[in-house]
This record gives sequence, structure tokens and C-alpha cells, in this order.
Amino acid sequence: MGLKLTFLPEGSYNSQVQAAALAGQLPDILEFDGPLLYRYVWQGCLRPLGRLLNDSARTNLLPSLERQGTFRGRLYSVGVFDSGLALYGRKSLLESVGARLPSRPEEAWTIAQFERILKDLARADEDGQVLDLKLNYQGEWLTYAFSPVLVSAGADLRHLDRPEAARALTLLQEWSEHGLIDPNLDDAAFVEGRVALSWVGHWEYPRYAERWGGDLCLIPLPNFGIGSRSGQGSWNWAITSRCGSPRRAAEFLNFLLEDAQVLEMTAGNGAVPGTLSAIAKSPLYQKGGPLRLFSQQLLEGWCAPRPATPAYPFVTSVFQQAVRDIVHGAPVKKVLQSAAQDIRQDELDNEDYR
Amino acid sequence: MVSPAVLGLLLFVLAPFALSFLISFTDLSLGSPHPMHWVGTLQYERLFHDPALARALANNLRFALVVVPLQTALALALAVLLHRPGWRLAGLYRAIFFAPVVFPMSLVAVIWRYLYAPGLQGPANRLLSWLSLGHWQARDFLHDPEWALGALMALSVWQGVGLQMVILLGGLQQIPSDLYEAAALDGAGPLQRFRRVTLPMLRNTLIFTALMTSILAFRVFDQVQILTHGGPAGATSTLMFELVRSAFERLQMGRACALTVLFVLIVLLLTGLQRLALRQRAL
Repeated sequence: MGLKLTFLPEGSYNSQVQAAALAGQLPDILEFDGPLLYRYVWQGCLRPLGRLLNDSARTNLLPSLERQGTFRGRLYSVGVFDSGLALYGRKSLLESVGARLPSRPEEAWTIAQFERILKDLARADEDGQVLDLKLNYQGEWLTYAFSPVLVSAGADLRHLDRPEAARALTLLQEWSEHGLIDPNLDDAAFVEGRVALSWVGHWEYPRYAERWGGDLCLIPLPNFGIGSRSGQGSWNWAITSRCGSPRRAAEFLNFLLEDAQVLEMTAGNGAVPGTLSAIAKSPLYQKGGPLRLFSQQLLEGWCAPRPATPAYPFVTSVFQQAVRDIVHGAPVKKVLQSAAQDIRQDELDNEDYR
Repeated sequence: MVSPAVLGLLLFVLAPFALSFLISFTDLSLGSPHPMHWVGTLQYERLFHDPALARALANNLRFALVVVPLQTALALALAVLLHRPGWRLAGLYRAIFFAPVVFPMSLVAVIWRYLYAPGLQGPANRLLSWLSLGHWQARDFLHDPEWALGALMALSVWQGVGLQMVILLGGLQQIPSDLYEAAALDGAGPLQRFRRVTLPMLRNTLIFTALMTSILAFRVFDQVQILTHGGPAGATSTLMFELVRSAFERLQMGRACALTVLFVLIVLLLTGLQRLALRQRAL
């Protein structure tokens, strides 16, 4: 069978898919960012995979990807890779302040330990800025990076008005107000040695490892209450509802999920392989590999999926604004309460997205 | 004769606007499978009670009140300085001052982000520290509620002044030189010639450029989107930023169309004021 591949620029990808859906011109197979799935299903754009996907492929899929691809009880998408968040640290600097170096999520620093370490590091640092939160990234990063904080504290994006959410994001605000965070306009805070800790995803590993070699260590995000939580989710594949030959489309998805394809793809983009068997064969992500933390987080559920709701585009827009405001000093409770109200109003306006 | 132009206007201006007007009375959500409902004036009532929109409009107004006079005065000063028939370097300077107009705002914004970098390493902070002999406290201009809007104003003036300058230069060139000669013969000095000849003769051009800048001040968007996202806490949010975010991030088409209608009303009001200003002269 032949495949025709269309590339779309990432910035306007969703609007182009929406336009194609309105015009009835969706392709047979679509790749898109995971959290958009629920809206596409709600709009009737995608068909459930059901029995189209091989049983072996389904059981081999990472649990995090199965969760991302499932909406209202049915699986709609598969991913060739997943993602993860962690703190990259400079071993020498952390050891010089006597910090314990956790390497597994269950050993994550508590908030008290984390703040102690930040303060000790800051005392030894020239400008006191010791933490990089990649505030130079825009848009979805803020939700990807900081909604796990809410979950780790015992709240989530659907419950922004819980006191746990306010408490967790207040910590973020305090780190900013105490001058602990490098604004990182040049995206070089960690590689230039300006900070000891960088809060970012798996994709920075090649650059960071090349710069710091053996001095680099990978640390789970701190535990804000109920355990460390990483971000998860990435681009995934689904079959559209207008596809005329779903069986053949599924053949392509089954093919993508074979070890050879998964390993080639993840060798290219550095992401966590999307299947159990490929992880076992990946030098970076298998047991004992330098990036095992990322695969362990996904395999054992130390991560916070973005909420499975058709309202996601709205929710993420509101949350991004809230994080930006909070980091730059706005009153946390007020910001979160008004964000929660906006999200609730949008649900009401859309008949609860039934 | 007029039909092609009228057709174009109908098709590309009037029809979309009429559609926006209609949609502003619905709850249309982009891509929703639910049928759209007529909701009467609900969207307008919500806008009326939305403190975020009130903040955005106040920002637009402050922006206009500062940028329009400042940019017009600066453009006039540059135009008068560069209006020297026969001066060889005039072309070069004109090109230099006009260059920022040609740069896309996305590029300009990225450069200014570095100029506004927080801490004393930031060029703007360093300059102010040097000018104040070290008394300046370094600020994070784009994230400081007191400074963010002003920072956007400064970069907007820098970017926009060239266009007004060129239009005003065109106006200056149309003033017949015998007026100046006659004024000089009557004993008018340079300042008097500027006040009694240049300004009155430039009146219409000045009104036009001021109007144009006012309209631009109400549709400020690019620099907000790229540099501040309307933050911190709404300090730099604008009408157009609210509109684009409603439509394309939050998919609330009904609300976005109501904002469009509001925007058109503001532009009509400004244009009406211009017509009034121009008519007064004819009397």
C-alpha cells in the first residue's frame, strides 16, 4: 500500500486540522498532540481502534500512552513515543551543599528538602539564581511542566480552586520572588553553568550530557504532597472517522508500533520509546540506562496526564495565563479562583461537553 | 465604473462583518458538534461585566494617550529635521528611521526582549544605570506591572515613528516654498515660520497620522502576544489580544465576534472624530 504524507507547520497545526474537518477533508490517518484527542473525538473526527489494533500491540503499549489514547472508555490513538520531566542537576554542586541525590521517583525530595537545597545552593551562587524552569519556553510548556505540580500536591487542572493548588503554586511564586529562578532568556542557563538545577523534559538530555558528562545527574521532580509527578504525553496517531479502509490504516499503525520502527523513531527524536519491548531494548531507557527515570515514571504511573476533556484547549489557555501571572507576583488564590470559574463557565457554555 | 470596487467591499469587508455581527448574538464555539444557539445580547452583557476587558480597554486608552502625541511629535521633529531640499544625506537618514517600519514586529519584539532583559546585564537597565550614575534599580521591565505597558509603548513608538515621519515629509514637500519666502520677507523667524506656516499647512496630514496611530493603538497585538501575553496579571492586555485569544485559543467565536463589533465601533468613533476635525477647518 502507498502512503501520502502531508506536513503542516506545528504552530497552526490544530487550526488546519479543524479547517480540514469542517471541509470534510481529513486524511485517513492523523498525527497530533495527545491532549487534543478528546476534542477531536467529541467532534466526531476519530474512530475507535477497537479490534483493529493487534492484541500484541495493545498489550505492548506503554500504560501512559494507553491512558492518553483512551476517552470515555474507548482507545482512539497510539503513540510511538512518550515524554517525561525531571530535574537535571550538577552532581558536584549538589554534593557540595550536602544534598541527597534521589534517582527514583519514590525517593524524591520533599518540598522542605528541595527548598533547603535551593537556599544552600543560592548562598554559594554568584547571583543566587540556581533553578531553571525554562520560562523562556512559551505556551503548552507551562501546562506540561506545572500541571504535574498540582497533581503532586493533590489538586489538578479541573480543580484549580482547591487549597492544595494554591499552596503548590504559591511555592513557585516564592522561588521567583526570592530570586532563585534564572529567567533563561538565552536558553543557556544550565549549559553555561549559571544554575545547578534545570526543570525540563527528556529532550534536553543530549545537550546537557554533552556539556556536563559525568557531572550530570537526573533527579525526579520534588514531592509536593502525594508523591513526585512528571508530565507525560506527546504526539500520537489515530484513524479518522472518514477513513474508507480502516483495516489498512490500522495495519500502518501496527507497523509503526513494531520495535524496529519505535527504536528508529526514538533514536531520532530522543523520546521515551512507546512500547514495553522497545524500552527493554533501548540503551538509554532500559533498566540501568541513564534515562531510566523517565521510563520508570511512565511505567509505574509517577506522572500526571493532562485532563481527558474536549475543553482542553480552553483549560490549557487559562492555566498558562494563571501560571504566568502567579510566577510574576499576582495573588495566587484570586488568580486560581477566577481561572476555575472561567473553566466552569466554559463547560456550562458547552453543555458540559456531552 | 464603481462596481468592481463595491463588489470587493461587499465581499471582503461588509459580508464578513455582517457575519461577525450575526455570530456575536450566538454561542458559537469553534468546532463544537452542538448546534449553535441564539443567545441575544448575552455576549455583550458578559463583555460589559468582564473586568479583564475593562482592563484591556483602559490599557488601549493609556496606550493611545501616550503613544499618539509622543509618536506624532517625534515624527514631526524628524520630518522637519530631514526636510532639507538638496541635502545629500537626507535619503540615508530617512532610510535609517524608516527601517524599523519594514521589520516584522515579531523580529522587533525578539530584539527588544533582549534589550529589556532583567538584571543589570540587560542593555536597557545598564543604560539607565549609567545615566543615573548608578542610582537605577534594575527591573524586569516586561514582567513588572508598573513598567510593562510603558516598555511596550517605547518599542511601539520606535517601530512606528518612521511611517508617520515619511507621511509628514510628504506633507512638508507639498508646502509651496514661496510661503516661507514671503514669511521671511515679512520678518518671521524660523520658529514663527514653523508655527504660522508649517503647522497650519500640515494640519490635515497631522490629523490623518494621528488618527492612523490612534487606530493602531486600539489594535495593538503582536508585541503583546510575543512579549507579555497580556501579563503580568492583565497589565498589558489589549482589546485585540483578548479578541485573538478568545477566537483562536479558547475557540469562543460568539464572544470573539462581539469583541470584533466593539472594535469596529471604536474605529468608527475615531474616524468620525477625524471627519469632525477636518470639517471644522472648512468652516
